Amino acid sequence: MEIFVLAFFALGYLVLGGADIGVGMALPYLGRGAGERREVIAAIAPFFLGNEVWLVAMAGVLAGLFPELEGELLSGNVAVVVPLLLSWVVRDMGLWLRGRVPGVRWRGFWDGAIVAGSWGLALSLGVLLSDVLLGLRGPVALLPALLVAVVLGAHGLAFAALRLRGELRRRAAVLSGGSGEARTYALTAAALVVVGVLGGLRLPLTAGPTASLLTPVILVVTPLLVAAQAWVWWTFRHRVTGPSYL
Amino acid sequence: METVDLARLQFALTAGAHFLFVALTLGLATLVAVVQTWATLTRNPVHLRMTRFWGQLYIINYAMGIATGLVMEFQLGLTWSGLTEFAGNTFGASLAIETLVAFFLESTFLGLWIFGWNKLNRWAHLAAIWVVTLTAYASAFWILVSNGFLQHPVGYERAGGVLRLTDFGAMVANPTAQVAFFHVLGGAMVTGGFFVAGVSAYHLRRRTAEQDLFRKSLRIGIGVALPATLFTATFGGIGFETLQPAKAAVWSGDAARIAAAQAELAAAHGPGDYLPPAGWVQTGALTMLIAFAVMFFFSGLSAVLMLIRPAVRSLRVWHRLLTLMIPVPFVAMLGGWVFREMGRQPWAVYGLLTTEQAMSPLTGAQMRVSLTAFVTVFAALIVTNYLLLARAARRGPDAVTLGDRPLDAPPTEPALSL
Repeated sequence: MEIFVLAFFALGYLVLGGADIGVGMALPYLGRGAGERREVIAAIAPFFLGNEVWLVAMAGVLAGLFPELEGELLSGNVAVVVPLLLSWVVRDMGLWLRGRVPGVRWRGFWDGAIVAGSWGLALSLGVLLSDVLLGLRGPVALLPALLVAVVLGAHGLAFAALRLRGELRRRAAVLSGGSGEARTYALTAAALVVVGVLGGLRLPLTAGPTASLLTPVILVVTPLLVAAQAWVWWTFRHRVTGPSYL
Repeated sequence: METVDLARLQFALTAGAHFLFVALTLGLATLVAVVQTWATLTRNPVHLRMTRFWGQLYIINYAMGIATGLVMEFQLGLTWSGLTEFAGNTFGASLAIETLVAFFLESTFLGLWIFGWNKLNRWAHLAAIWVVTLTAYASAFWILVSNGFLQHPVGYERAGGVLRLTDFGAMVANPTAQVAFFHVLGGAMVTGGFFVAGVSAYHLRRRTAEQDLFRKSLRIGIGVALPATLFTATFGGIGFETLQPAKAAVWSGDAARIAAAQAELAAAHGPGDYLPPAGWVQTGALTMLIAFAVMFFFSGLSAVLMLIRPAVRSLRVWHRLLTLMIPVPFVAMLGGWVFREMGRQPWAVYGLLTTEQAMSPLTGAQMRVSLTAFVTVFAALIVTNYLLLARAARRGPDAVTLGDRPLDAPPTEPALSL
């Protein structure tokens, strides 16, 4: 059961968080001018906070249920985890700060931070997965990582196609061709789930003794967490019609 | 510097920065939630503008709190895997509960609050900020349960070289955690109160627009700061009762007590130096106490002055001093935190695992690269973020974009349909 809890949050992050990482990666392609970029960011704005907590929750589940693995996985991959965290921080701050000052240069700078952070995050997730999945380390791990990044990028485009309108939507749907936007999203999401599951199968997942206490608690609160997220999805289910607060 | 010192410095800088941001977050969230409640009940436009103004400052501050917080959480596994392997089965439980029960909901609802402005029903929107505020408290609570365990381990047994939890209730009820929670919560209210009062005083002194809004805010800020200062000091005082013997001895400076504490620990754990660094412990505590005295005196005086209408309007010396007071609660927070955390050295888990043993098997080069990278990025971001906070505070409610009518909404909609 503990393994399913971990998988739930890890896969939830890959699918939900993966979409907003992908949109960040594709930002220069999707948004050609400052106004367009702002609208593209509005596609992920209400979701990115709620998405990234899936990874935080996964870290919490690791700390509580698999503390030994947590230490091994993180400290054993310090060369990947440090860039991952830095990319995450840079990307987040780009999203938070870009709209706070009106200047074109200010926005351009932080849009750059969003793009760089999104690519950094995607590639470091990819490198981490290639270590776990294939046991590859060093520069050679960048090849499978690039593949993971491409899948994340495609997933982001699929998500953007579902959220944006007009020219932006057409640009985002470059991979879907015509009307298959939802199908493309389902496909890229499935690809990420497969990668995540294969990675998880390679991890030594033996739950610690606290599981007997913690697992029931997690099982009780999880429906509540999903309901809260569902409220957000429902509230922002319509296509983006203009810029957001970011 | 040894590798373990680099790791400690990295964690200390991350946690210290995080503490500064979350202190203001906790305090401001409460004030924003209360003001928004009032605004929702009365539909008073001044309170609506207050909610948006203080809400925007809250969000700018919040961003950096998340960034530092998530790096801190991952640092536990990254640089302190000895700690997670040895004691993860105990305090990891409260960390897990914190992320799932508190932080997950806090972030989800914060998104709903920020982007759901003018979109959600106004009661639902009000509920969102209250969920954000209460889950922020819950977050602080569970983190301090984890910290309390490291300070004063209870409810565990030692089996096969690692700890396991035997009594979850005891870990939660740990007085070292409970007292610290109320102390920190009070400290956050002090920080929020002085911040709101100080920013309001700036606008009153400059005679900017919205004098009414800032007179109201000034009174709220001081009205919170004075009782919160007393509340915080009370729990701080109780906290002195829960100090570890070595910390208490070093703080007292009494040579006989220090020698006794050292002898007792050496008898229990073998030869070694078991005393925390006296300079840090005493400076931390003194900083906190002096700052408390200043805040207590000043908030008491201000509580009287704010009842005098002409003073609120135009006692500009007082306004200037109020603005200058903004950093003092932050200094007190850091002082208290240094006292608490340096004071438990050399232990990571008091009496069970030393900080040196808690360290991950990382090389000095790895630590130096990691430390340099984090410090560079965080320093730049923190400075930027504080400049932005100051900019938004100075520009006042007119420049607020939080809760703006969506640009795409039909123009017939009222500008504020909260």
